[in-house]
Amino acid sequence: MTIFQRRKIEGTIALTLSTLAAFLGLFWLIFILGDVLVHGVKSLNLSLFINDPAPPGVGGGGLRNAFVGQLLITICATLIGVPIGVLGGTFLAEYARGRKIARMVSILADIMVSVPSIVIGTFIYAVLVLPLGHFNGWAGSIALSIIMIPVVLRTTEDMLTLVPWTLREAAFALGAPYYKVITQVVYRGAATGILTGILLSIARVAGETAPLLFTSFNNSFFSLDMNQPIASLTVTIFQYAMGPYDSWHEQAWAAAFVITIFILIITIFGRLIIRWRYR
Amino acid sequence: MLEQIELRVKGLNFYYSGGVHALKQINLPIYRNHVTALIGPSGCGKTTLLRCFNRMHDLYPGNRYEGEIYFVKDNILSPQTDLISLRSRIGMVFQKPTPFPMTIFDNIAYGLKLKGIKKRSDLSERVEKALVHAALWDEVKDKLNASAYDLSGGQQQRLVIARALAVNPEVLLFDEPTSALDPISTAKIEELTATLKKEITIIIVTHNMQQAARISDWTGFMMLGELIEFDGTNKIFTAPSEKLTEDYVTGRFG
Repeated sequence: MTIFQRRKIEGTIALTLSTLAAFLGLFWLIFILGDVLVHGVKSLNLSLFINDPAPPGVGGGGLRNAFVGQLLITICATLIGVPIGVLGGTFLAEYARGRKIARMVSILADIMVSVPSIVIGTFIYAVLVLPLGHFNGWAGSIALSIIMIPVVLRTTEDMLTLVPWTLREAAFALGAPYYKVITQVVYRGAATGILTGILLSIARVAGETAPLLFTSFNNSFFSLDMNQPIASLTVTIFQYAMGPYDSWHEQAWAAAFVITIFILIITIFGRLIIRWRYR
Repeated sequence: MLEQIELRVKGLNFYYSGGVHALKQINLPIYRNHVTALIGPSGCGKTTLLRCFNRMHDLYPGNRYEGEIYFVKDNILSPQTDLISLRSRIGMVFQKPTPFPMTIFDNIAYGLKLKGIKKRSDLSERVEKALVHAALWDEVKDKLNASAYDLSGGQQQRLVIARALAVNPEVLLFDEPTSALDPISTAKIEELTATLKKEITIIIVTHNMQQAARISDWTGFMMLGELIEFDGTNKIFTAPSEKLTEDYVTGRFG
């Protein structure tokens, strides 16, 4: 066997192994998505969206409370998390650029991104649930916003850093104060990147269960009161999937389907913006 | 004819934050309604000097000036100087075009809005005037709402000049404005400086000695942070007093 033949065989082996690995990863992904799709679509009906849960075992009813609760918790989390994340990222990339504190906060944010979400859930449980004596929607939103902040902060910082420094100098040279340089010129240059980061962070928290289990918990009734326990899709899926009733299982499948599609749409939208940006 | 002095540099020393002594005892007059060119080999301090005139160095902590630059009567290096008003009186155009990520119209209107002009009709009028001034109006008048990034490099550079002109500066600083442009765009910008100097004072840093010879009235030759010679452009290029200047303009080094 010549050295060339051997190289060719080695190349084929490497290609085969890496292809197999890729397909193995894809297989589970498609399996999960397909399973959710098949079961979810089967259980999907209008009643799911317009009715609140029926008593256990009775059948029928819907998950209106969970859809609305999920939306409410996610929107509030976004309203809390995004401004803090964007402003924090702005501080790091602009006002503290090159300073030690910026490096430190960046690294801490990176660590925060990988902290298990259940840890954040139990933390909020300790500071916002125990003292108040009951689960509440705000605690859920704040837990989710804490998960969002480091993601938004780091994307904002990275996107602002990508804006060429000469653009800022050009704005300064026209006599602009720094805050106007940032809000009117730099943000525009980084807008699509920051928006993508925000969308991806929403997608990230919309699927969280653990932090909500300890904070907003669940509510079998329709409620818009963020001071009280409030239903969410993820916790409902958890509870229904663990429950003994077939009607619960079906609704859990449907809810899983809806939330998966929701996250998929946000993610695709985020990717589209990236593509449009670098067109 | 006695020339009027717009800016007078007196005993200027400049230190970068790392401690590098980048400008050494610079003394230099800048004459009103004239083009002054700063030439010299890379790293000689010509851009550093240019950026002293609008205090661009203040953006970075640790930089230090010594000496004075008188703008008519006031020392612009004094800590009391209001940088925002200084920079609206002394504009700057950079090496690479720096259009903002907005429409052509908004780019020009940006500086005007900073000055507090808000009325749409006033803005339109002054945007048009600035674009005409920068010899760009005919090329963009039908697409004022297009992104500034759609323009070619040469057009972008004229857009940036128009943006600087819109706020009616008394002085314009050009930092190698044509080094990223093709010859035709370069010629257009060189022509532009000739018309602009009727109204404003221009200081230009350039690597291109032919360009300095073509468009400037006065030339300063710098090396290693010192101003070796300053004189009329003709004199610098035909009969310089200093041996170093002669060696440089005849291409013996640099």
